[in-house]
Amino acid sequence: MPTTTAGAPLSIQSTTAPAQLELVNVWKRFGDPAAPTIAVREVDLRIPKGEFVTLVGPSGCGKSTLFNMIAGLIAPDNDGSILLDNVPQPDGKLLGKVSFMPQRDLLFPWRTVLDNAIIALEVEGVPRREARKRAEAMFPEFGLKGFEYHYPQQLSGGMRQRVALMRTFLFERDLLLLDEPFGALDALTRAKMQSWLLDIWARRKRTVLFITHDIDEAIFLGDRVLVMTSRPGTIKCEEIIDLPRPRDPALVTSAQFTTIKRRLLDVIEEESMKSFASEGL
Amino acid sequence: MSALSDRAQKALLAGLRSGAVAAGPSWQRRLLTGFLRSPLASMIALALLWEFATIAFAVPRRALPPPSAVFADAWTVRADLLASFGRTLLETLLGFVAGSLLGCLSGITFAYVRTLERSVFPLFVISQSMPVVAFGALVVIWFGNTLLAKVVMALFLSFLPVTVNTLRGLKGVDPQRIGLMRSFGARGFTLFAKLAWPWALPQVMVGLKVAISLSLIGSIVGEWFGETVGLGVMLLQAMYTEDMTRLWTVIVACGLMGSALYGLISLIERRLVWWRSAS
Amino acid sequence: MVAFRKLTKAGAVPVLITLLIFVAAWEGAIALFHIPDFVLPHLAQIAVRLSSDSHLLADALAATLSESLGGFVIGAVLGLAIASLMVLIVPLERSLLPVAVAINSVPIVAYVPVTLVWFGIGPASKLALVALSTGFVVLINALHGLKQAETGAIDLMRSFGASRLSILRRLQLPAAMPSVVNGLRVAIPRSMIVAIVSEMLGAYRGIGRIIFESTQQVDNLGVWVAVLSASLASVLLYTALVWIDRKLVWWN
Repeated sequence: MPTTTAGAPLSIQSTTAPAQLELVNVWKRFGDPAAPTIAVREVDLRIPKGEFVTLVGPSGCGKSTLFNMIAGLIAPDNDGSILLDNVPQPDGKLLGKVSFMPQRDLLFPWRTVLDNAIIALEVEGVPRREARKRAEAMFPEFGLKGFEYHYPQQLSGGMRQRVALMRTFLFERDLLLLDEPFGALDALTRAKMQSWLLDIWARRKRTVLFITHDIDEAIFLGDRVLVMTSRPGTIKCEEIIDLPRPRDPALVTSAQFTTIKRRLLDVIEEESMKSFASEGL
Repeated sequence: MSALSDRAQKALLAGLRSGAVAAGPSWQRRLLTGFLRSPLASMIALALLWEFATIAFAVPRRALPPPSAVFADAWTVRADLLASFGRTLLETLLGFVAGSLLGCLSGITFAYVRTLERSVFPLFVISQSMPVVAFGALVVIWFGNTLLAKVVMALFLSFLPVTVNTLRGLKGVDPQRIGLMRSFGARGFTLFAKLAWPWALPQVMVGLKVAISLSLIGSIVGEWFGETVGLGVMLLQAMYTEDMTRLWTVIVACGLMGSALYGLISLIERRLVWWRSAS
Repeated sequence: MVAFRKLTKAGAVPVLITLLIFVAAWEGAIALFHIPDFVLPHLAQIAVRLSSDSHLLADALAATLSESLGGFVIGAVLGLAIASLMVLIVPLERSLLPVAVAINSVPIVAYVPVTLVWFGIGPASKLALVALSTGFVVLINALHGLKQAETGAIDLMRSFGASRLSILRRLQLPAAMPSVVNGLRVAIPRSMIVAIVSEMLGAYRGIGRIIFESTQQVDNLGVWVAVLSASLASVLLYTALVWIDRKLVWWN
């Protein structure tokens, strides 16, 4: 059952499992302190360990700002705080604690695919030989066997995203932040990548927070879906996805799926109307 | 090839190997056409044309000597020419290496020390348009008529473009990649070594290419202010004796050095930043 | 007060502070290391000599500037013209470009004696050399810029029945403008330097000649003054250009 208040993200399931990530009254304002632009407003969020949570919202709603705060790149305003494993994180302390995958693959063109995958480990201080061994073991699983010594320019878009994902998984942190990783891919590749991501997640059991603007993707992938409002963004509602795991691609056309989707679409349409209205359309 | 049966494929391959089936122009022909299209061939063609033109139009030696005369002259002074070539090369390389190292260091300093960038760098930019070669006279006053003076000239001229380009390269680092690295917990030196420097390298190479040409100019002009051996010296001597042929001999020598040096940097560029064109 | 605020906005204050430090260091070094006059003159001495010789220097600078600007214009026009021809007549590029590259691989200063022998010591040799130097920069940049136009756009114009000349004028030349302007920006300071170097080896007038004469007469203060005024002129020229560039290219 969805909860609709901007604020309390509660459901019977979440209060029992320990929280991996918690956001309490997180705000982010930019610009002139007298008349600031509010990017993110009053976000309260609780993500239990091991869950796959998706976040949908219109463009410009502050999703990426939120992610940047969770990754530690920007500090939330003093009103609120971010807790990792129930420990409040002061400004800048989150850096290096969360595995972050931005929208673009951001691979380094002068490094081989293998060396790109291990870059986070290198930063961590893992010796190269050891890091390379760990990465090599993952190549078959990510469908990149044989491409270890290729360069990013030689790979297709989908393959580069997989390298980026490998880099994200190799950086062993309990929380993974994925910012629209499949956004630039065509529909067929995207569908394949979704199933394959769920496979990997099931095997490695990390907590995942996944941003997308595609509702189907959000419902298909997530244990729960968070809907963000347009700017200033806040969590409008939360929907628990009760669909069975492992998720079969055929689910997308099932009646259950459609019901959930209809509910979410209504919420989102309401938000879109608001943002259109504010633009004078 | 996939449309052919296995047996047909095997037969075709055997035929190709034995030369019975022509797979296209032979390697000899391709080598010939490749050579004819190369710049070297155009140069040779030009030299031949030049030679015939001077004869056909009876161009006076004083105006433009034919290539044959230039080569003959080069041969007669080959000892001096070689010595001068070596000396100028030494001045240029020493000045270039020193100037580039200093330039990289200052570029890096400007990139990471904001106050210095805001207060000192604008002066650097302005000084790029100053006729630094005019300082040649002063350099000789300070350092005397020595190798050091010419090296200082070359250093001075290469320092500026390398600094400017290193700074530009470092400032152009993709902020999203910086964010990514920071999210891994990277700071300071790690960010520089693993991201900023490789990213800036193509732009640094641009600076180095400019610097090496300027270094050569610096050496030559430096030699004009006082030196006994060097291509600049030979140039001056030829001018005073109005020996046109000699002038062209030295010009060709300078051209060879210029292309060789530029080619060297391009080679280094291709080894170090081979990935640039792809990204 | 308004002027002060404008200066701070332009970020000039840190630079001015640096200049002050520089001046202090200069005089300080002379005092500390007992540097003799002929190596490093007092700034006051330079200033005095500058003002007393101001007429002489101004005349010389005018001559040098006219040579540089004149050669610059000639070179720019020729460079652009040849680049356009190369684009119109493709075989021309293949045959001429290696020649151009070969000629350009020679450091420009090596051509000074040749131009002096061919054109004499007067301004003609300086014009020729500056034109050569500018011409190449403009040629390379223009070629690069002219080729920027996408084949798709060219094909479209051909489908309209446009002639090669027409395509050049309407599509390729405008597309090449940013590259050409870039080349011009690089060529201008170089023009001044080339003119000065040329004058140093032989000229009737010009700041390079004054530098040369001062060196001959071991008039070190004279050398300093000449070099500094040449630098000043260069800087002013550069600033003028930046200003023009901003005004003209505001649409970029």
